[in-house]
Amino acid sequence: MVFAEKTNDSLRNGRRSRGPSPIQSISSLSSDEESGEKIRVGKEYQAVVPPLIPPNERRPELTNDRALLVWEPTNDISDAKLDNYISVAKEKYGYNGEQALGMLFWHKHILQSALNDLPNFTPFPDEWTVEDKVLFEQAFQFHGKSFHRIRQMLPDKSIATLVKHYYSWKKTRCRTSLMDKHAKKLSARASNSEEGAVASDGGSEVGSITDSDSEDKKEGAETKTSCGNCAVLCTVAQTTSKGPLCNSCYTHWRRTGATRPTIGPAKPRDRHANSVLARSKRKPPRGMYINHDDLVIISADSPQNGEVILKALDREIVSLKRQVQANKQTISALKSKTAEGLGELRPSDNNSRINTRWTNEEMLLAVQGVRMHGKDFNTIAEVLGTKTETHLRLFYAKERKRYNLDKVVAEYEAEHGPSQSSSEQKMDVDGDTGQSSPSSPANQKPSTTSPSGSTANKTK
Amino acid sequence: MTSAVKKKVCYYYDSDIGNYYYGQGHPMKPHRIRMTHNLLLNYGLYRKMEIYRPHKATAEEMTKFHSDEYIRFLRSIRPDNMSEYNKQMQRFNVGEDCPVFDGLYEFCQLSGGGSVAAAVKLNKQAADICINWGGGLHHAKKSEASGFCYVNDIVLGILELLKYHQRVLYIDIDVHHGDGVEEAFYTTDRVMTVSFHKYGEYFPGTGDLRDIGAGKGKYYAVNIPLRDGMDDESYESIFVPIITKVMETFQPSAVVLQCGADSLTGDRLGCFNLTVRGHGKCVEFVKKYNLPFLMVGGGGYTIRNVSRCWTYETSVALGTEIANELPYNDYFEYFGPDFKLHISPSNMANQNTSEYLEKIKTRLFENLRMLPHAPGVQVQSIPEDGVNDESEDEDKVSPDERLPESTQDKRISGDNEFSESEDEGEGGRRDHRNYNKQRKRPRLDPNDPSESKVKEEEKMQIDDTISKTSSTTA
Repeated sequence: MVFAEKTNDSLRNGRRSRGPSPIQSISSLSSDEESGEKIRVGKEYQAVVPPLIPPNERRPELTNDRALLVWEPTNDISDAKLDNYISVAKEKYGYNGEQALGMLFWHKHILQSALNDLPNFTPFPDEWTVEDKVLFEQAFQFHGKSFHRIRQMLPDKSIATLVKHYYSWKKTRCRTSLMDKHAKKLSARASNSEEGAVASDGGSEVGSITDSDSEDKKEGAETKTSCGNCAVLCTVAQTTSKGPLCNSCYTHWRRTGATRPTIGPAKPRDRHANSVLARSKRKPPRGMYINHDDLVIISADSPQNGEVILKALDREIVSLKRQVQANKQTISALKSKTAEGLGELRPSDNNSRINTRWTNEEMLLAVQGVRMHGKDFNTIAEVLGTKTETHLRLFYAKERKRYNLDKVVAEYEAEHGPSQSSSEQKMDVDGDTGQSSPSSPANQKPSTTSPSGSTANKTK
Repeated sequence: MTSAVKKKVCYYYDSDIGNYYYGQGHPMKPHRIRMTHNLLLNYGLYRKMEIYRPHKATAEEMTKFHSDEYIRFLRSIRPDNMSEYNKQMQRFNVGEDCPVFDGLYEFCQLSGGGSVAAAVKLNKQAADICINWGGGLHHAKKSEASGFCYVNDIVLGILELLKYHQRVLYIDIDVHHGDGVEEAFYTTDRVMTVSFHKYGEYFPGTGDLRDIGAGKGKYYAVNIPLRDGMDDESYESIFVPIITKVMETFQPSAVVLQCGADSLTGDRLGCFNLTVRGHGKCVEFVKKYNLPFLMVGGGGYTIRNVSRCWTYETSVALGTEIANELPYNDYFEYFGPDFKLHISPSNMANQNTSEYLEKIKTRLFENLRMLPHAPGVQVQSIPEDGVNDESEDEDKVSPDERLPESTQDKRISGDNEFSESEDEGEGGRRDHRNYNKQRKRPRLDPNDPSESKVKEEEKMQIDDTISKTSSTTA
C-alpha cells in the first residue's frame, strides 16, 4: 500500500510539474500578442442567437421544467425539528440526509407521516462486501486509479460505483493510515529487539484494532518467533504486513481484514511508569477502551456479528464527530458574538439612564411597586427602569419608616400569601450573583444586612 | 450579505455527477461537485433551497449551439472504441486534455441539462437565483472540446435566457479566459461577455485586453487580463468598478456568473491568491443587482477548496451566514487539518500593481463608452429589471417603435451570416488574420492520441524545456 501511495504521489507530482495542461506550455511559445490565440469569427464558431419572444407570446407555464423537484423548503418545520428528524432517519434507519428530506418532501412536509413511513423503505444497503473491498484494495494497489483495470477484477461493479467507492474509501484509508504507521513502526521495532518487546509485551493488556490495508509481502520472519499480534510464541509464523502472526491471528486477519483482537479492556495506565518502548506498544490511544464482549463476538462468532458491532461503532463515531463539529460551530458563533464586544450583553441601563437621585415620581412608583411586587426588588427595578435593584433595596431600607413600607409589604403578603420567603430567596440569589448590579460592595452591604432579612426571619 | 430580502434559490444537482472520472492524474474531478453537495446538505443550506434533479440534455438541445457532427461524435465515442475515431478525435480536440472517459456523454448531458433547466426556471420567473455547480464548462467550442470542457452548458443556458431577455450579461471569474462563451457570442450585441483571467503564457491564450468583439458584437466582449497573484483586495478593486460600469451601460436583464474556483489561492492549476471570501464577494456584488441570476461552476482543481468556495457562495446566494467550522460530512477528512470553511491567502507576490489595474480599467472604460446606451432595445425594459431603471429613462430611444418584428428577424439572420468581409471592413489589426484556419493553435500531432504512454512522458517533459516542446509540436 505504501508503495502504491508513493508511486501515485510521484506520478501526480510529475504531472503537476508539467503545468496545468500541455496546451498551456505550448501556448507559451506563441504568447506574443501578435501570434497569440484568437477568437475565431464565422458561422462555424458563433452561436445562433434565438429571437426574443415578445412578452405577449410567452407561455412560461407551458414550458417544461426539464428537471425533477426533489425538495422544497418549508417554513412549517423548525430547524431543530428537522435536524431531529434527519438524525432519527440516519441513525435508526440508515438513511442519508438527502434521502430523509426526500421522504419528508414525498409526504408533503408532514413530519409525522414521514417518520412513520421511514421503516417501510430501507435505503440501498452497502453492496460492498468485505471481499469486494479487499479485492478493490488489491486491485487499486496494482492498477492505481485506472478504474477500467480495477473493474476487470470486480466485473459486477460499474465504473461509477468504483469511483464512488474510491472517493469514500480514500479518506478512510487516510484515517487508518496513522494506525498503519503505528503498526508498522511496531513490527519494525519488534524485529529489532525481539526479546525486549516480548518480555514487556507479555503481561500488558493490549488490543490492536488496526485496520488492514492488505499488503502481502516483505519481512522474512524467523522460524521460532512470537506472534506480532497476540505475542504467543509459535513455530510457524505467517509473515504479513502486520509482522509475524500466529496461525489463529493470521486466519482471522485473512478473513476479516482486521487483526485479531487479543485481550481487553485496556486499562488506563500510569504514563510515567511506561518506558518509551512500552508506550509505543500496540495499545489503543488514550481514552479509547475496548469492550471485551464485543471483541469476543467479533473473533469467535460469525463475521457478520462482528460487522454489526463495527458498523454500530462506526455510526457512533460519526454521530459523535457530528456532535463535535456542531459544538465547535456553536462555540465559534458565541465567540464571534463576544468578539463584537460585550456592550450589548451588559445591562444597558447602568450608564446614563441610571440615576441615584430619587425623583418624587420615582419614589411614588417605588412604593407602588412594593405594593404590587412585595420585596421582589428586581422586578420593581425593571419596571422603574432608572434604578437598579440595589438602589431599591437601599430605598427600602432608608425610607421604610417614612413611607410605612412594612405595612405595604404586609398588605402585599396578605394578598399574595407567604410568597415573601420565596421572593426573599430569589432576592438572595440575585444578591449573590451580583447580577446587573453595578454598585460597589459598600452599596450592597446594607442590603444584605438589610431589615428585609430580619423580616424574613420574623415571618418564619 | 446585506440584502434583507431572501432570494428564492433553485439548485440543480444530479447525484451521479460525482461518479464520472476523467482519468488517472487528470486534474478535473467531478467529485468536487458531490463534495460541495454534501457540505450544503450538512450545513443545512440544502433544505433552504428548491432542489432539482435536472433532466439529461438531449442531443437536440445541445445542438442549439454545438454542431450536429460534434454532438454525434460525443455520443458515440467510448473508451473501448476510441481507436476507430482517431481522425475525429483529432478534429474535435478530444483525447488529450479532454480525454474520452466512461460516461462522457452522460456527463455532458447532466452538466448541460442543469444549466438549461436553470435558465428555463429563471425565464419563468419562478426563481431569483439558480445554481448549477455541475456546469460552467466555458472552454467548449461549437465543434471542439477544449480545456476539460466538451459541451458548453453556459452557452446553452444563455441561449435559453435570450428567448426571454433582450440582453444577458455573462461574467467569468475563472482563472482561465472564458473563451468558449466569448467566441459563441463574439458577434452579437445581445450578450456581453466579461472575463477576468490570468493572461500571458497561460491557457487558453485568448483574452487580450484588445479583444473586444466583432461586427455587431464589437465592444460586447470585455477582457480583463491579469497577472499572477491577484489577491482579494486587487480583485475587488477591478471587479467592482468594471461590473458597475458594465451594468450601467449594458443594462442586462439577466446575469450569468461563472464561478470557476481555480482563481482561489493554492489551486493546483491556478495562480491567483484569492480566498473563499474574496471569491464570494463577486457573487455578493452581482447578487445586489437583483437581476435573474444564474450561477454555474467551472474550473477548480484543489477540490477541497472548490467545495468550500461553492458552499460559501451558495450561502451568499441564500443570504444565510454559515459557521466557519465545517459540519461533519461524508468527506470530512478531506478538509483537514483545520476543518474550517475559510482559507488564508498565501504569501505569493501580487504582480498586479495598482497602476497596472488602473490602466486596464481606463482602457476598458473607454471601450464601454463606445456602447450605444441600452443597445438593441426593442421591448420595454423587462419588469424584473429593477435596479437600473433610472438610467434607462435617460435613453432617448423609444424602444417600442424602433424594431418591428420583421426588422428583428433580419437582424438576427444577419448575425448568422456574419462574414469576414464585414469584419475586414472595420479595419484594425484583425485584417490580416485568417479566421477559418482549422487549428486554433499548434498542437501535438497526428500519431499521439493512440499511444498514451508516450504522450504522458512527453507531457512531463514539456514543462521544463520549451525547446523540447517545440520539437514535439513540430
